[in-house]
Amino acid sequence: MIKLTRRGTIGLGLGAFFALASASTALAADTIKIGYPANLTGIQASLDGPMLNGAKLAASEINAAGGVLGQQIELVVYDSKSDSTTISTVASQLIDSDKVVGIIGFADSDSVLAIGPQVQKAQIPFITPGATSPKLPSQLGNEIFLAAFGDNVQAAVGAEFALNKLNGKTAYLLTDIGTEYTTLLSDYFVTAYEHGGGKILERDTYKIGDKTFTAQIAKLKALSPQPDFVYASSNAEEIGLILKQMRQAGINLPVVGGDGYDTPLLIQVGGDAAKDTYFTTHAYIGEGATPKVQAFIGAYTKSAGNAPENAFAALGYDSVKLMADAIKRAGAPDPAKIRDALAATSGLDGVTGTITYRPGISVPDKSVSVIGVKDGKLVLASEAAPTFVAEP
Amino acid sequence: MSREARITLLVLVALVAGAAVAFGAPHVLSDYFVRIILLIALNAILVLALSLSNGFTGVFSLGHVGFIGAGAYISGILSIPVQQKMALLPHLPTFLHAFSLPFLPATLVAGLLTALLAVVVGYPLMRLSGYFVSVATMGFLIIVNVVLINASDFTRGARTFTGVPLETTLPWVTGWLAITVFVLARLVYSPFGRAMKAVRDDTIAASAVGIGVLRTRLIAFVIGAFFSGVGGSLYAHYLGSFSPNTFYFALTMSLITMLVLGGMGSLTGAVVGVICVSLLSEVLRSVERGFTIGDFAVPALFGASQIVLGFIFILVMIFRPKGIMGDRELTFGLTQRSATVNQTEERKR
Repeated sequence: MIKLTRRGTIGLGLGAFFALASASTALAADTIKIGYPANLTGIQASLDGPMLNGAKLAASEINAAGGVLGQQIELVVYDSKSDSTTISTVASQLIDSDKVVGIIGFADSDSVLAIGPQVQKAQIPFITPGATSPKLPSQLGNEIFLAAFGDNVQAAVGAEFALNKLNGKTAYLLTDIGTEYTTLLSDYFVTAYEHGGGKILERDTYKIGDKTFTAQIAKLKALSPQPDFVYASSNAEEIGLILKQMRQAGINLPVVGGDGYDTPLLIQVGGDAAKDTYFTTHAYIGEGATPKVQAFIGAYTKSAGNAPENAFAALGYDSVKLMADAIKRAGAPDPAKIRDALAATSGLDGVTGTITYRPGISVPDKSVSVIGVKDGKLVLASEAAPTFVAEP
Repeated sequence: MSREARITLLVLVALVAGAAVAFGAPHVLSDYFVRIILLIALNAILVLALSLSNGFTGVFSLGHVGFIGAGAYISGILSIPVQQKMALLPHLPTFLHAFSLPFLPATLVAGLLTALLAVVVGYPLMRLSGYFVSVATMGFLIIVNVVLINASDFTRGARTFTGVPLETTLPWVTGWLAITVFVLARLVYSPFGRAMKAVRDDTIAASAVGIGVLRTRLIAFVIGAFFSGVGGSLYAHYLGSFSPNTFYFALTMSLITMLVLGGMGSLTGAVVGVICVSLLSEVLRSVERGFTIGDFAVPALFGASQIVLGFIFILVMIFRPKGIMGDRELTFGLTQRSATVNQTEERKR
């Protein structure tokens, strides 16, 4: 029997590590590599998982149609575990070892903030399918592009929907101050709503992870006169609980919010209490959707084995198409050329709307879908571009 | 060669090798491998800081990550450039708005302030033993987390704290690692180190021979906290953006795993633990993406790396319950210091 000494074991381990690490780079074929870090485990998994399925679908469609510039595209996927240290390691792996020409990833602004400095330094174009903070490009640099609308746009659509369709002249504002997204969304909502002539009667806060909202609900119940509706800037986990506890307390006001509601959790957790709830999001992917969305639903169901979980699946799909389009127009798989082509994107027709970047602005102008809950099902309540948008 | 000369030689060789890696690696290796080495060195500082109380003094602290978090935020607040500070942290007290410190002073201040915090926290807590001190230090970690989330004027609350300049490079980290190893080795293998081990092995006997239990534990705790604060600052300047949950139970668990796996009563054991766990999780992270050997294709199984890692930890604990190194040091045969000490100790038992 071979006896392993301590030193021997360590040596073997080191050897295996370098062998495996170099083996993964030896597989380079003649493909155009696009990096795709995804939080497939951890708290972001319910958004990043469907997004990756959408992205893979787009890549296989592009390859089936002959690829880009005569080459196949390859998504280089790593699990970044919803952890900023892993995200930075994965970023260097993609940039240095895999030599990707562009990177696509993440549904939340925090992960984008973690990867941003590295992609900016390496001058690799980066598209985030799902993060919606319109401040990201100015915080990080000119390599950062959003495939989704900014929070200022969806907040404005939410405000105008409440003012015009719900006839809500007064509001109660509930904000999750635990995340960047909900805090910004709430601020943008206030600007747009007050600009439109609405009045916020009372505001209250909570933090992501909270399970009981009795104090906030008591404050709302004590208001006299009662507001016309509630704007809750919330994440997916909490909104179901908020709705449930509010309806139990006898409050049947309409509730309006942003794309953080857009996961199956809204109806799973909220149940009957989710009635009369409206949220702004990227695309309506239920019954009676547009033919383009219907085609996407069909293809996604075929490849992933289930219907798209939420609009993030469609955003992942659109982001790969967006990157492929830029590579095609760049004429060569060269990061600098791709970045310039990406910035010049105009009228790209996607599942979640048409993507156009105005000069110098890396957040697209897109229309926003307002989705309502009726009889335990999602229905399209409105689709609009806002008339007034707050500055990022 | 005399023993003293051998030790000096060993230290010199280690320093030269460390410097060669620190300054040479970025030219030879890709950024990815440099980052792996950097993370190993950084985690080694954190685990060594933890080993001082958890391993050598027998105070099993679950709160060191609280010090790491405090160090990260303190140095982050101090070193964000002045013009960005206004935009990111508009509600800071005015005296903090007026200046920003370079990397090294910010790190030192972070270390010193966390050491001060450790004096305040440790004075009541170091009277406790066994499970009680673990639970109490865990309470400290929770308090730090809640304070970081609620002191939003200073920390942006639970939102991402961003804008910290990315200054942590491999020479910085290896430099700090060398200082950490040097200080800790001098401390652990000194009369005071004997006192620490005596307190760990038998509190009553130790106090009976005149060792101040509280004083010994407190000094170990505070020095550990200083290096945790320094490590926190290095972490902050490595990541650039982080949130209170970066410094919470997940990091606690990973540091303790590295320490226990490497061997709790050994400085080199702590480093070996960090190297093994880091390399293993990196390899598994790349393998779980799926690979092909000849015609045999293994599909992607994201999440499998954590399962395999957990399984390996169980195996190590079954077959080497004292960790890879136990309480022996890796000396490459140049010094027999700890080995002889252990033999005499074993004979006594």
